[in-house]
Amino acid sequence: MIDRGGSEALDTCVHCGFCLQACPTFLATGDEADSPRGRIDLMRALETGELAPDDPALRLHLDRCLGCRGCEPVCPSGVGYGRGIEAARAMLATRRRPPALARAALRALTSPGPSRIVYALARMLRATGIPRRLAGWGRFRFAMGMLAATRPTRNAKRGTRNTRAAASSAFRVPTSALLFRGCVMDGLFSHVHDATVRTLGVNGWAVGETPGQVCCGALHAHAGLREEARLLARANVAAFGEGDVPIVVNSAGCGAMLKEYGHLIGAAGFAARVRDVTELLTAGGGPRPGAPVDVQVAYDPPCHLLHAQRIADEPLRVLGAIPVLRIVSLPDAAQCCGSAGLFTLLQPAMSRAVLAPKLASLRTAAPQVVATGNPGCVMQLGAGLAASGLSAAVRHPVELLDESYGAAGYYA
Amino acid sequence: MITAGLVEALTGIVGARHVRTAPAERLTYARDGLPTHRRVPAVVVLPGSRDELAAVVRLLAAHDVPFVPRGAGTGLSGGALADGAAVLLVLTRLNRILSLDPSNRVAVVEPGVVNARLSAAAAPHGLHYAPDPSSQTACTIGGNVAENAGGPHCLKYGVTAQHVLALEVVLADGRVVELGSPSGEPWGPDMVGLFVGSEGNFGIATRIAVRLLPQPRAVRTLLAAFASLRAAGEAVSAVIASGIVPAALEMMDQSCIRAVEDSVYAAGYPRDAAAVLLVELDGHSDDAVVAETETVHGLLSAHGAASIRVAADARERERLWQGRKKAFGAMGRLSRDLVVQDAVVPRSALPEVLEAIGRIAATYQLTVSNVFHAGDGNLHPNISFDARVPGLRTRVDAASTEIMEACVAAGGTITGEHGVGLDKLRYMPLIFDAESLAAMRAVRRVWDPEERVNPGKVVPVHACREWSGLRIADRGLRIEQQARSPAQSAIDNPQSAIAPRGAR
Repeated sequence: MIDRGGSEALDTCVHCGFCLQACPTFLATGDEADSPRGRIDLMRALETGELAPDDPALRLHLDRCLGCRGCEPVCPSGVGYGRGIEAARAMLATRRRPPALARAALRALTSPGPSRIVYALARMLRATGIPRRLAGWGRFRFAMGMLAATRPTRNAKRGTRNTRAAASSAFRVPTSALLFRGCVMDGLFSHVHDATVRTLGVNGWAVGETPGQVCCGALHAHAGLREEARLLARANVAAFGEGDVPIVVNSAGCGAMLKEYGHLIGAAGFAARVRDVTELLTAGGGPRPGAPVDVQVAYDPPCHLLHAQRIADEPLRVLGAIPVLRIVSLPDAAQCCGSAGLFTLLQPAMSRAVLAPKLASLRTAAPQVVATGNPGCVMQLGAGLAASGLSAAVRHPVELLDESYGAAGYYA
Repeated sequence: MITAGLVEALTGIVGARHVRTAPAERLTYARDGLPTHRRVPAVVVLPGSRDELAAVVRLLAAHDVPFVPRGAGTGLSGGALADGAAVLLVLTRLNRILSLDPSNRVAVVEPGVVNARLSAAAAPHGLHYAPDPSSQTACTIGGNVAENAGGPHCLKYGVTAQHVLALEVVLADGRVVELGSPSGEPWGPDMVGLFVGSEGNFGIATRIAVRLLPQPRAVRTLLAAFASLRAAGEAVSAVIASGIVPAALEMMDQSCIRAVEDSVYAAGYPRDAAAVLLVELDGHSDDAVVAETETVHGLLSAHGAASIRVAADARERERLWQGRKKAFGAMGRLSRDLVVQDAVVPRSALPEVLEAIGRIAATYQLTVSNVFHAGDGNLHPNISFDARVPGLRTRVDAASTEIMEACVAAGGTITGEHGVGLDKLRYMPLIFDAESLAAMRAVRRVWDPEERVNPGKVVPVHACREWSGLRIADRGLRIEQQARSPAQSAIDNPQSAIAPRGAR
């Protein structure tokens, strides 16, 4: 058997086209080459050698794939599109290095040394409030909007600050779940980590820390840097060690990647331990109801939760544990927001085109809060809302639950 | 001739982003939903408005360049493929619902509007667009018009032709004409009826006025399992003979059931059944629908249904239908390559024809799955195979031909709803003599004297359907004997039947 590196996942495609309307980029351009079916044609031609890896048109259309995997849950034949596109991108990366901007962003966001400085500077800039005032359209102003969107909401409950040392000592019970901290989540969303630990604690989970863990490697894999992704994966598998303690993740993109470690490096045992925070909170009939929070919320499912991990109901059940909170439904909520990791930086025009219909439906629905469980989506939606002059805040579902629990006095 | 100058002029009309010339991009348009045919177009153009489209067509006329319209590319006869001498006009960007008038129950849409999106837009008004091809979540109304698309619920509500009221059409020379009237039958010949099902040979519909129907107030959906295809086929005839007109009456065989049950569209079909029937009854009075449901239930039992399930609610009904409608796409689970056939036989011949298909499959050692509109005898045998196996493709083609011949011999015809396109050109002589084919060509030349729109593909599908029954019944064996030789030669050498314009 030849190792086809994941391309075999595309073999079941019979060209029916039932994926077309699930593809945000096809909806934006109407072009078959920007559709899953068309890209599968391109990937097959790449694999057979009919098209060369340096074919500019091939690269353009494969690069323009968000990797949202919205095509997978609608495919009757179960085509493994996500695995196929990563295989294709890995093949392309052997011929050409990812663009300089991608490499710079990967280094700044994911490598342990430089990223610590970058995030520290970003937090300082964020604290000045300047990014929020600069937020708008255009590359720079959109990036400012993204940074501003990572700011913890002011009325969030300031509970026990979850430093790495405090987290494990806060509970006298044995650790029953291990937190995956990630890179962007740790650098800019530590308040979501805090909320994750606190809300899980209320629901009987003692969340422990794991030293030596690194970035999940999702951004590398999406960019075709499969070897780099494998290195990171092996480091994480070593850090979390043996055992069956669940590994809890609050970033949909990281969760989807960690669950892929079986395919990536054969670490199926590790992958089986990975749980999204909403999976753990809803295990055993939970989560425990909190105090009322009077707010109107639109839930926007992250693609890597809904399509890649097929987690649909759990986040809604988490929000459902908050009395009075009202959920407004959005048409086409299942569609990608255009964030897609580095995509928003590398393909700004397509990213904004994919975001536009989402913003239009948010303008109509006018929620006070948009809830979504992935850092990229929080930043993309936050920047888009700010640029459009819409006042809704974007928050992780566990932040809202945390606020509800704080008001209920569970942390007293 | 397609020249650099022409490409530049096309770019001038629609913008550089919407003219595709790179080999990789053209390659993605080389196939439709029947991937055994492959043709790479010379240029792909995606116009953004009716005026852009008309300007493009005028330009192509001036350069004497043939062109092919394409919607979502979900067609199943190779009808929307363009070769290296033609320009492919992709209509996906013409996707606006121009008006939706609930009181007159009429919608006017552009050709690229997706079928299911029209029904979704009509739903808040209690209305829907009735023709529901299985690909309705992807296919476009323009393509539906070109192919005179059917769908499960066309058994009761009629095919696309019964739902199109008026059309605005860009002709081959770029003139824009209006056909029919949204407010009633105009004087003169039924030009809309002629255009619907013309497979892109008469021009491109740019605005389509369609009838919307009220959603039925009462609906019941039954799923009946049978131990043999014959028993299921006989039950179909019994239901129809009872005088009840089901909204839909569909059959799936075991191979198909299992492919669906392995997919995300698993609907709870019994995996061990040789066949299932999906019967839907609807109307405005719940009592009447309940009474019909009881009658059908009794008929299905009397014809040997091993189990019968009635969908408890709208959600279960939706699941039963999703399984049926996505079955074609689930065939990739059986093997990596697929051809789907489309033929119509008299309902009463269903049991014999299904058995004949089974025998042909066994002879050629092929996997054939059947999923089809049993209520109107419209068969869809799916042949799964692996094209990488040497010689297999030849066997698949031979089996396809034998299946088609068996259907024609049983008094049927070569397409129910997928159209002739490229794939069925070779079967046309099975049912039409040269005189008839010449007449069809003459009609086509009234619309497109130079035969530049969708060249090399043939004839209105509804015409086939109406004529074939008569001809086969009248002439019986004589037709078959006479027709065999041209058909055979077309099969041996498919290119002969699709020779470029002017070569005949």
